[in-house]
Amino acid sequence: MSTRDLVLAALFAAIIVALGLVPPIMLGFIPVPVTAQLLGVMLAGVILGAKRGGFAVLLVLLLVAIGLPVLSGGRGGPATFALPTAGYLVGWFFAAFVTGYLSERFVDRSQSGIVQIAGFFLAALAGVVVDHALGVIYLAWGTGTGLMTAFIGDLAFIPGDVLKALIAAFAGRAVMVGYPLLPQRT
Amino acid sequence: MKTLYVEGDTFLHRLSPRVKLVSLALASLLLFLIDSPAFLVIALLLGGGIHASLRLGWRLSFSRLWPILLTIAAVTVFTFLLNSPGQALVVLLRLTALALFAAAVTATTSTGDFIDEVTVAARPLERIGLVKAADIGLSIGLVIRFLPEILTRYQAIRDAHHARGLKLRPLTLAVPLIILTLRNADEIAAAIDARGIRTQK
Repeated sequence: MSTRDLVLAALFAAIIVALGLVPPIMLGFIPVPVTAQLLGVMLAGVILGAKRGGFAVLLVLLLVAIGLPVLSGGRGGPATFALPTAGYLVGWFFAAFVTGYLSERFVDRSQSGIVQIAGFFLAALAGVVVDHALGVIYLAWGTGTGLMTAFIGDLAFIPGDVLKALIAAFAGRAVMVGYPLLPQRT
Repeated sequence: MKTLYVEGDTFLHRLSPRVKLVSLALASLLLFLIDSPAFLVIALLLGGGIHASLRLGWRLSFSRLWPILLTIAAVTVFTFLLNSPGQALVVLLRLTALALFAAAVTATTSTGDFIDEVTVAARPLERIGLVKAADIGLSIGLVIRFLPEILTRYQAIRDAHHARGLKLRPLTLAVPLIILTLRNADEIAAAIDARGIRTQK
């Protein structure tokens, strides 16, 4: 990994942390507060690609593990990984990686704006699916409830996260126009 | 960024970080393997005792622990409703004990010590060519160094919105924040390379 890649990943990790510290933003059309750290994870994949985006998220998880209060609401510390909800947290890494891989594969600079946004949206959506799948499986195992109950509880968070995938898609396209960084994979 | 480390000179502060981390890992393994409430109550009392030996005081202890206690409470209610009161009790005892142990380690180990341990732990990964162990410490340092600047930049963008009478929207906040931040990457990378930080051994 070049020094520039390392710095880009570290800066993005800092952005993900910052998104947890700023107050939630209300979306104009739906009264859902966007607590934005999963948004940051998707943005890491969409903007930096699989390798650097994954490394950025790994850095955030490392900061959590060494006890810095970097998650929204000032959470952090190794105990966070022992909670039954830890699957969602660890899932961030896989979400960023999958989102990044699919973005590299299916979005490139020569496409029209709408195609790029659609590509980014599907990539981010795949990331959401990966994160929720890991989250549900670990939640079901950690609390001893069945997969079905865990899945039903999880459904409440799906609409918000799909919305975040949409925001990530638009933001990814805007950054690609203004300051392209995404590597191409064919 | 304010870390969860608390200055002090207790027994746990002086204990080697590696011993603390390995014991914490072993404790969490034991806590998850054993379901007996009696054992878990003993573990909880032990955790409380260790935490009390740090002499943080009630107010500070509570303000540090409440975010995780809130999550534990939610998980306990969830288990109580879906499973049995017995299982809810086990979950409550287990997670609270673990939170106390972990909080004691976090409070007595500085970020620098943690980075050293992480670097040592990454040595085997370096040998198989996955990462350079020293890069991990460098990256953590970079995140902590640049976080305040990103927050300042966020405030500047927010003020710019207010000055123009615009409503805050995720897109108009995130895009300039990301572009402005990542633009610095070239300069920072050049500065790191110019100092030869990554080639030193």
